[in-house]
Amino acid sequence: MPEQNGQNEPQKGLIRRFLDLPTDSVPKTLFVAVSLCLVASMVVSAAAVSLRPIQQVNALRDKQINILQVAGRYDPQANVTEAFSVFEPHVLELATGEFADQFDAATFDDLAAASDPETSIALQDDPASIGRQSKFVTIYLLRNDDGSLDKVILPLHGYGLWSTLYGFISLEANGNDIYGLQFYQHAETPGLGAEVDNPRWKALWQGKKLADDSGNLLITVAKTAPPQGEEYHVDALAGATLTSVGVDNLVRFWMGEAGYAPFLAKLQAGEI
Amino acid sequence: MGLRSFFDRVEPYFAKGGKYEKLFPVYEMVESFLYTPKTVTTAAPHARSYIDMKRIMTYVVIATIPCILVGLYNVGFQVNSAIATYGASGWRAWIIEALGIGFNPANPFANVMHGLMYFLPIYITTLVVGGIWEVIFATVRGHEVNEGFLVTSMLYALILPASAPLWQVALGISFGVVIGKEVFGGTGKNFLNPALTGRAFLYFAYPAQMSGDTIWTPVDGFSGATALSITASEGYQDLAANGISWMEAFFGTIQGSIGETSALACLIGLAFLLITKIANWRLVVGCLAGTIFFSTLLNLIGSDTNPMFAMPWYWHLVLGGYAFGLAFMVTEPVSASHTNLGRYIYGALIGFMVVMIRVINPAFPEGMMLAILFGNVFAPLIDYFVVQANIKRRAKRNA
Amino acid sequence: MAQTKRQMLIDPLVDNNPITLQVLGICSALAVTSSLQVSFVMAIAVTLVTGFSSMFISMLRNHIPGSIRIIVQMVIIASLVIIVDQVLKAYAYEISKTLSVFVGLIITNCIVMGRAEAFAMKNPPVASFIDGVGNGLGYGLILMLVGFIRELFGAGSLFGINILQTVNNGGWYVPNGMLLLPPSAFFIIGLLIWAFRTWKPEQVEEPEYKIQVVDAH
Repeated sequence: MPEQNGQNEPQKGLIRRFLDLPTDSVPKTLFVAVSLCLVASMVVSAAAVSLRPIQQVNALRDKQINILQVAGRYDPQANVTEAFSVFEPHVLELATGEFADQFDAATFDDLAAASDPETSIALQDDPASIGRQSKFVTIYLLRNDDGSLDKVILPLHGYGLWSTLYGFISLEANGNDIYGLQFYQHAETPGLGAEVDNPRWKALWQGKKLADDSGNLLITVAKTAPPQGEEYHVDALAGATLTSVGVDNLVRFWMGEAGYAPFLAKLQAGEI
Repeated sequence: MGLRSFFDRVEPYFAKGGKYEKLFPVYEMVESFLYTPKTVTTAAPHARSYIDMKRIMTYVVIATIPCILVGLYNVGFQVNSAIATYGASGWRAWIIEALGIGFNPANPFANVMHGLMYFLPIYITTLVVGGIWEVIFATVRGHEVNEGFLVTSMLYALILPASAPLWQVALGISFGVVIGKEVFGGTGKNFLNPALTGRAFLYFAYPAQMSGDTIWTPVDGFSGATALSITASEGYQDLAANGISWMEAFFGTIQGSIGETSALACLIGLAFLLITKIANWRLVVGCLAGTIFFSTLLNLIGSDTNPMFAMPWYWHLVLGGYAFGLAFMVTEPVSASHTNLGRYIYGALIGFMVVMIRVINPAFPEGMMLAILFGNVFAPLIDYFVVQANIKRRAKRNA
Repeated sequence: MAQTKRQMLIDPLVDNNPITLQVLGICSALAVTSSLQVSFVMAIAVTLVTGFSSMFISMLRNHIPGSIRIIVQMVIIASLVIIVDQVLKAYAYEISKTLSVFVGLIITNCIVMGRAEAFAMKNPPVASFIDGVGNGLGYGLILMLVGFIRELFGAGSLFGINILQTVNNGGWYVPNGMLLLPPSAFFIIGLLIWAFRTWKPEQVEEPEYKIQVVDAH
């Protein structure tokens, strides 16, 4: 709009007045800084808020895919949420092997629980090098169509050579036969330790047993089989001694007394 | 002098303006390998010495002879010993059998011959592939191929495990020569040791073939850990239980890379290099001091979980690539520091780093190679500070 | 600027490539190039950020006070990067997991800042946008080349599809493990610079000093 007369200049819009100031003057500098921050923060928060639901779905889906894979139920074509709906999440109290119903399994956060002194303990004997262990973890049960238990999926983690490996182990309903082991997060050496992701190595776990008939935990990742036999032995990764030792430690730790042993005992007794 | 006159006759073809001008480096290489170089430095600022580059390089090759011999013997000895249990297979065993030599580990001749079967293919591959790169660069850049390459190829072949696949040998020496030396302008301008650069490349690129327990003695089914990896997992006190005494480690009848196992052979080579003044004794003193000081310190600190802490310095010196690295690589004049004070510091840095890597890093029980490369990188910086300190001191004195 | 828009787009690909000639943005080039897919996404992200940040900065260029110039540029770039990061997390979750912090680190990528400071502050928005996109593409080109070499020889695959059957999967190819480690990108970029400068000798810098040659008497 053309100016009506020169004396009306102060009536120009506030923004216009600031923009007409000399660029390097103090008010202009402040004006640019403040308005830019406002605009930028609005744009950024708008993007973050509007995209958050999709991101949460993604993170959840990623976890669900890992659980499906370790249970051997993953089908890239199928709908993940649907496939996952057959899994029953439960929060488990490790020490007793009982389900802790005071927590809602859908929202329980294992990682947060592990760092909260209320719900975790600092480990003295810590072969898996995890520091603090949560007293409660989220586990998943998979049932057959007739309601009988098919598999249990238990989370575990521990230190390898360079990084903490996070993963799941799935066991048959008898609580002693391994169905699969899968890590979803780690930073081991590519080509050596990172071969924990190799499908051929992961396949070695299927059908192995955790303990013998009298309950001695025998499962081991090593170069040579223990005297009790091949069914308790998974071959170590070639050239990755320390990652293999780490996996051995963490599996034995989580399957042992400090880990899932009370729960596994219940499972074997058929109480779940 | 038929050969001499042949060289004289063909020289015009290779000289400037000749038909094969571009191939002059090849001509020069062959000629100066057989005869003393005709051209000598005459320009003003150079001191003249009876010892030229050709002689230095030849001396280093001579110094490796004990290592080669012990290495050949040891590779054959280990292979023949393993064959007694696991049986012989492959073309090498076929040749040995065809020659009627047999696989008796008590027979030194049979051992050396069998060792040769492993060493020769590796060495020839190194020479041919590395030589091709040398000639290509020499031709393009118009400089001459020198005897330095003979040293590089010999050292490189000696620090490989006997089982190294030949295509990896070729890839490693290509990397060593091109990235370790030629990209910086060739012999004398490289700040890394080319042989070690090639070896390090293989170590990181193909760890399955370059580390572990099955690679040192190439017999199917045989598995023998190096003394260092036994120490890393069980402690040096257990070496005896695994059949390794200090004397054996010193003489070199243990698992390891071809030429590295014998500390004694390396010592002979080192003595030769020191007497001929090719190796500088300050580097050796610095390196030994660094190792002895730091490993003793770690002995005193001690550790419940890491058995490497307890390994005394006299074991550090005889195991792995330490002796070989000290004799032939720490002392290598081009990539080491050039000032006298800098040499002590450079040596000590390597001596310190090797213990650091061996003991404290969980992934690499052998640290000599990485420690030397680390030292190589710092050598110019050390020299810079030594020179600057000197300048400052003099400026103060004359102020 | 006498350059045509076409030149602005094409020049940074080879003749004035941000990585091989200006040697900028090396850090992320080392970190994200172990697979081609990740390189590709990173290349697109950087191209978008460079293009749009140059455009916005150019639009504001007459109002940006000199004293807070760099911070204003940073705020604009950072906002764009956060948006890219959020979009990736929403629509390309797998890739955003592998890229992790490196999307965030586009903020510190010298190419983006460099173009903002060197070009967008003095040129109109459309030209700045094209210049930004061109430089992003130049960066992306090198990223893709390095990613191609590293994934093919390091893992035997391209875009995650097996090309060379590796030994661990029952094939013949022994993958080169070093190529999966970040330092290998240093060697590859170095060799690429070498190749580019052999091809285009005008890119070679003047030597800092000349070695004196004395003829033998």
